[in-house]
Amino acid sequence: MLEVLDLTKRFKKNFAVNGVNLFLEQGEIVGLLGPNGAGKSTTISMIATLIEPNSGDIRLYNESIIKHPEKIRAILGVVPQEIALYQDLTAEENLEFFGRIYRLKGRDLKKRMDEVLEIIGLADKRKEKVKKFSGGMKRRLNIGVALLHNPQLVIMDEPTVGIDPQSRTYILDTVKRLNQEKGITVLYTSHYMEEVEYLCQRIYIMDKGHIIASGTKEELKNILSQENTITIKLDQVRKQFVELLKADPVFRQVMVYDSSIQVMVPKEVNVFTRVLSMAEQSGVELAAIEVKTPTLEDVFLHLTGRALRD
Amino acid sequence: MRAILKAKWQLFLRTPWTFITMTILILIFAYLIGGLGIDVKHEIPVFTNIKDVEKTETWSRITESEVFEFQLTTETEAKQALEDHRVEAIVFLDHDDFKVYVATETPNANLLYQLLQSAYTDLFLNESIIEAAEEHGQVVDIVSLQEDLAKQKENPLFSIQSEYFYSDKTVKVDMNLQSLFGFTLFFVIYTIAYNVLFILQEKQSGIWNRMILSPLKKWQMYMGNLLYSFAVGYIQVVAVFALFRYVIGIDFYGGFAKTLLILIPYVFCIVALSLCVVSISKNEQHFNVLIPLISVSFGMLGGAYWPLEIVTSDIMLFLSKLIPITYGMEALKLATLYQMPVQDLLPSMAVLVFMGVVLMGIGINVMEKRSG
Ligand SMILES: Nc1ncnc2c1ncn2[C@@H]1O[C@H](COP(=O)(O)OP(=O)(O)OP(=O)(O)O)[C@@H](O)[C@H]1O
Ligand SMILES: [Mg+2]
Repeated sequence: MLEVLDLTKRFKKNFAVNGVNLFLEQGEIVGLLGPNGAGKSTTISMIATLIEPNSGDIRLYNESIIKHPEKIRAILGVVPQEIALYQDLTAEENLEFFGRIYRLKGRDLKKRMDEVLEIIGLADKRKEKVKKFSGGMKRRLNIGVALLHNPQLVIMDEPTVGIDPQSRTYILDTVKRLNQEKGITVLYTSHYMEEVEYLCQRIYIMDKGHIIASGTKEELKNILSQENTITIKLDQVRKQFVELLKADPVFRQVMVYDSSIQVMVPKEVNVFTRVLSMAEQSGVELAAIEVKTPTLEDVFLHLTGRALRD
Repeated sequence: MRAILKAKWQLFLRTPWTFITMTILILIFAYLIGGLGIDVKHEIPVFTNIKDVEKTETWSRITESEVFEFQLTTETEAKQALEDHRVEAIVFLDHDDFKVYVATETPNANLLYQLLQSAYTDLFLNESIIEAAEEHGQVVDIVSLQEDLAKQKENPLFSIQSEYFYSDKTVKVDMNLQSLFGFTLFFVIYTIAYNVLFILQEKQSGIWNRMILSPLKKWQMYMGNLLYSFAVGYIQVVAVFALFRYVIGIDFYGGFAKTLLILIPYVFCIVALSLCVVSISKNEQHFNVLIPLISVSFGMLGGAYWPLEIVTSDIMLFLSKLIPITYGMEALKLATLYQMPVQDLLPSMAVLVFMGVVLMGIGINVMEKRSG
């Protein structure tokens, strides 16, 4: 359905997006995952035809949309990262305004507004001002507005930032339902691994303007099939102990926390004997050693040497 | 586009207070500074050593003034009044001389001086002619001489044209209208600018992007926003003028309808100016700094606070030519004080339209460049 080829966007000397390739098949939910400043929003803005790339192409059903943005705009719903609503208007008035600019009128508009309010679960709050809404309710309305004109493709930019767990679950389930019941194709951006793990069939991991990995959840986790993530818990982290760990080449990506240390180790290595002897050498009391099955969080750590979020 | 106007109207009804407060502010400023609340005449205490001064020619001359109300009092009381800033100036009358005491140099003090000067000059001339005649040993029929003099005045051999500000013959100033026009044109800049600011806010909140993605055209987005700003600004100025005309009852010299016409290009020009300022503002804080800077300097240069007629600095006068307020004030005064017909107002109005078109062009271009 949609294909992004070698997309690049530069702000002055800063490559926000650098040679990104990705595609979306009809009916998929695809995740775009990355830390702050990875270039997710910039990529999305280019797909949504809001900013022009410096180079590369975006093709919808094999036709470039860079010169013909109207083609994609007609079928596209965008949920922006910010709350793009009139805070002093009610939920209903907001929907009415955005419906009308999509040329919905009269009975059609009313019907569509009711449907959307139902989908986002705000039917009983329709007469309340957005200003008075909770963060979660605002986010839901932010999504609702993007659905008014029945888009086939919906792009969501971090639609769950800064909200309570219930609203978050509600939103994730809504996205899943829209996809399953209406066949809407979704490009879902987030820096929460759990969300994309839960929602998406395929995932792109983005960092510093590049796609650093892509594939299904299983494919991505297979990147780590050769390594385990080990968490060493101890009473007190000693510098000497950390240095010993770092000096040993089998331990990769050493991350030090308050009372634990995380490392990556090839599966065949006997971790216990090594760690125990190092602990003895540096006089550290071990509390526990845990071996974890890898998560996407670990994949990111493996690929970049940095945690996805602090 | 109607959707935009409707949403804006709903927003306006939600938060009408800024608009109402602003309107009241204009009313208060124009009312107080125009001196409408107080007696229209400025009270001037007078002290003198002339006996029965009220029976003299001088006294009857100066009390003809429509601007000043002369009141006889003692020296101490007069000086006290000046010290307490209860009056702008006090006057001491002598037989062939006078003194004006002022607290600060004001346009009114100037006017007062001119008035006394001309009264004294005329009387002094009369008397010296009579004296000269008497000295030459002629028996003079004073009454007939004075009649002759009066006749001579109607048909003078030469005439001295004294020109100064506020003279009836050269420049007309009506402090009521001056402050009404000035403060309205000045304050409405804020009303308009803060409505045009919606564009910036909508850009930052992402609403603007949503509109771009919709079938709305760019020109409809701008038109919707600017038309709304125009309407709010225009309603405000018309409301203020109408209140002054019909409630307070100030004299528009029959030019009320013409002033409403002049306000159209003026408000348009200010909408364009605001768009320009919004387009160069990095964010709202930046805008909040720029707007007072621009409006206040425009107010000063364009003659919103004081009549340009009293400005003598060439630089200021040159700069005033670049300021929309100047042309607004000029046209409004021509339409009222000078009772000019509409075609004589067209040049000023044309300048406003021209400025508006240029500023609008710059504003939209800068804005589009920045987002692209
Ligand atoms: N308009 C702009 N002008 C200059 N630099 C920009 C602009 N927009 C984005 N950038 C830069 O481009 C990079 C990528 O930004 P982008 O917003 O795409 O990241 P993101 O992945 O969406 O991050 P976040 O999770 O914080 O939303 C950042 O370094 C950012 O500072
Ligand atoms: Mg972003």
